[in-house]
Amino acid sequence: MKRKMLVAAVAAIVLCATLPVGAQVAAPLAGQTVTVLLPPWATLPKDMTDRFTKQTGIKLSLQTLGWDEIRTKIITASIAGSPPADVTEIDWSWVGQFGSSGWYEPLNATVDAATTKDLPATAIFTYDKKLIGIPYNNDFRLLIFNRQHLSAAGIAQPPKTLAELLADAKAIKDKGAVKFPIALPLSATEGTATAWYLLTKAFGGDLFDNKLKPLFTSPDSAGYKALAWEIDALKAGLIDPASTGLKDVEVQELFKNGQASFDVAGWAGNLSVYTDPSKSKVATVAEGALMPTLSGKTRTFGLPEAVGIPAASTHKEAAEVFVRWFVAPETQTESYTALGNLPTRTSVLKSLDDSGKLASGKALLAQAAVVEPLFKQGTPAWYPQFSSAVSTAINQAAKGQLTVDAAIKQIAAQAAEAQEQ
Amino acid sequence: MTSEVVTSETASVNADTARTFNSDRWLGVAFVAPIVIVMGLLVFGPVLVTLWDSLHRIDPMRPGTPFIGVQNYRNLMSDANVLHAWLNTMAYVAFAVILETVGGLAAAILLNKISWGRRWLLAAVVLPWALPPVVNAIVWLWIYNPSYGLLNGILQSTGLIGSYHVWFNDRTTALLLVALVHVWRMLPLSAVILLAALQSIPAELYQAARLDGAGPFRSFSKITLPLISGGLAIALSQSTVFAFNLFDEAWILNGSSLDTRPVLVQVYMSAFQDLRFSYGMALSVLVMFASLLISLVYVLRVYRETRYD
Repeated sequence: MKRKMLVAAVAAIVLCATLPVGAQVAAPLAGQTVTVLLPPWATLPKDMTDRFTKQTGIKLSLQTLGWDEIRTKIITASIAGSPPADVTEIDWSWVGQFGSSGWYEPLNATVDAATTKDLPATAIFTYDKKLIGIPYNNDFRLLIFNRQHLSAAGIAQPPKTLAELLADAKAIKDKGAVKFPIALPLSATEGTATAWYLLTKAFGGDLFDNKLKPLFTSPDSAGYKALAWEIDALKAGLIDPASTGLKDVEVQELFKNGQASFDVAGWAGNLSVYTDPSKSKVATVAEGALMPTLSGKTRTFGLPEAVGIPAASTHKEAAEVFVRWFVAPETQTESYTALGNLPTRTSVLKSLDDSGKLASGKALLAQAAVVEPLFKQGTPAWYPQFSSAVSTAINQAAKGQLTVDAAIKQIAAQAAEAQEQ
Repeated sequence: MTSEVVTSETASVNADTARTFNSDRWLGVAFVAPIVIVMGLLVFGPVLVTLWDSLHRIDPMRPGTPFIGVQNYRNLMSDANVLHAWLNTMAYVAFAVILETVGGLAAAILLNKISWGRRWLLAAVVLPWALPPVVNAIVWLWIYNPSYGLLNGILQSTGLIGSYHVWFNDRTTALLLVALVHVWRMLPLSAVILLAALQSIPAELYQAARLDGAGPFRSFSKITLPLISGGLAIALSQSTVFAFNLFDEAWILNGSSLDTRPVLVQVYMSAFQDLRFSYGMALSVLVMFASLLISLVYVLRVYRETRYD
């Protein structure tokens, strides 16, 4: 009898020990909290997140960090083996590093074929056939200008070539409409580097060839001319000297306040913010135009952003529910209106334009049609190191510490060093 | 008989002594153990791990962590950005040590002389040190701002400058401005250390010096300086170490810009931007040795143990 009781007690203990595990496997997603780490322009308004919670029962804990800081948080947490959040921002420029490090969960099964087709930028977030991020922000660059400043200087149409851009800026400055017409960041930050990449394309060239050898080292190359153009514009008083300390978001504030006429490396999604009277002083006069180039035939490149699920996340299923909701057509439409995130879904872009809700829709869609990737082969793992070298050298050149030639040589040397590692 | 009594008494005393000694020893160990454990886990352990890891290639983008010996250290010697960062750091150390020591001593002497309101003045002096470094740096970022900053506003209104100046466009000025923010925050610590040293000097020594005809300068050089040498060495050491570890001020005021980038920002960029962790570790080891070496110079050349009995 005693033996039977002992066996029964042991069995009961074993069963009790397994109960919590069994309970976990069967736990519903409702009631779980998903932490979401996003930059300021993607942090959703409360009414949107409340609606998500009401629909799914999943609570959201939103964390906002600046774009430059968000990457650091992801890296420090990932290297320690802990999730920075259940869902995080993934920028196009991080794909090489994060993909090779294996820090993100493949999301190939999260989106179906129809969604993938509607989201052309998914190709940029695929590393080694693993989709590590679902794109939510269709950032590409175009020219955004202040119609009022152009009119004050007697200019009827926005510039189509770089020469016209310089001439228009000079005319606006001479008229006294604004002191520094061209808004361009020149600090040692990513926005400075991407602006140079855009101008390189505008000068008719590319950064690297198919074998990733630099194409910007020769004085008659597009990249060299692009940097010379920036420095010349600065010396001519067309760019604020204080730009050496300004990030891209700070330079955008200058444009929003009417202190600049041209947002040269303008974010496509920013048009909705610039034309919102509650957020911008130039709401009625801000317009988008095709990026001016040397030849007059526009070019631009894409810098999309995505959301991904860290491999160390402990709420992967709930996080997937959020990701699917975040890139759903209705959410993308609302995110564009509220935050200026240009939708990544082709269907949504078309729908917004058809209903007249896409600010400067004609220019946006025309520019979107010619978006190129910066790296045809996919973003390499050494890109962040290269980008840092670019922004550092441009910052030094802008401060007069390096000539254009020395800056280009420095960029090329550090690109070679980055590629070797 | 007597020798047996003596032997047993001696044995008893020896046994008591041994028991007391053993219990004292274990009590000492018990008191010291927590700090040894904490220091071991949080300081010495990580230092040893970092040293070991710096001899390997630790890069999350590449498989494995092979042993590479001193390759990281060799690469550091030829890295232009690292050399630039070292030069910047040396500038910060020079500025910080000189200004904090001279300023801290001046503040300490002033505080020592004041009898009425000293507590309030000390609180005001200590306030910059009490602020979080990031808050401190952001306040100064606003002051230095070219468009709406207080510095430009004051200088322009007094006619010292004709138009708003972008202070961080000149490398030397930028280094000095970053160093000044650091000094503003750390000078109170030097002042407090030196004040404590000053207050320990007996007043009779100065009275005797006056009677002997010594003026203020001779009193200062012959009495004050020698007798605060211990405090001075500590103040110099902490100034040096904190200047070597300068990060917040440079990062907030000028980001990763190379002209003000200190070596710790370079460590951060190597490790967390380029994901070259062992490379960053090797650089941090060099920083540790550099600051230790300079502190050792102070301890050996400046520190004097002072007793007044």
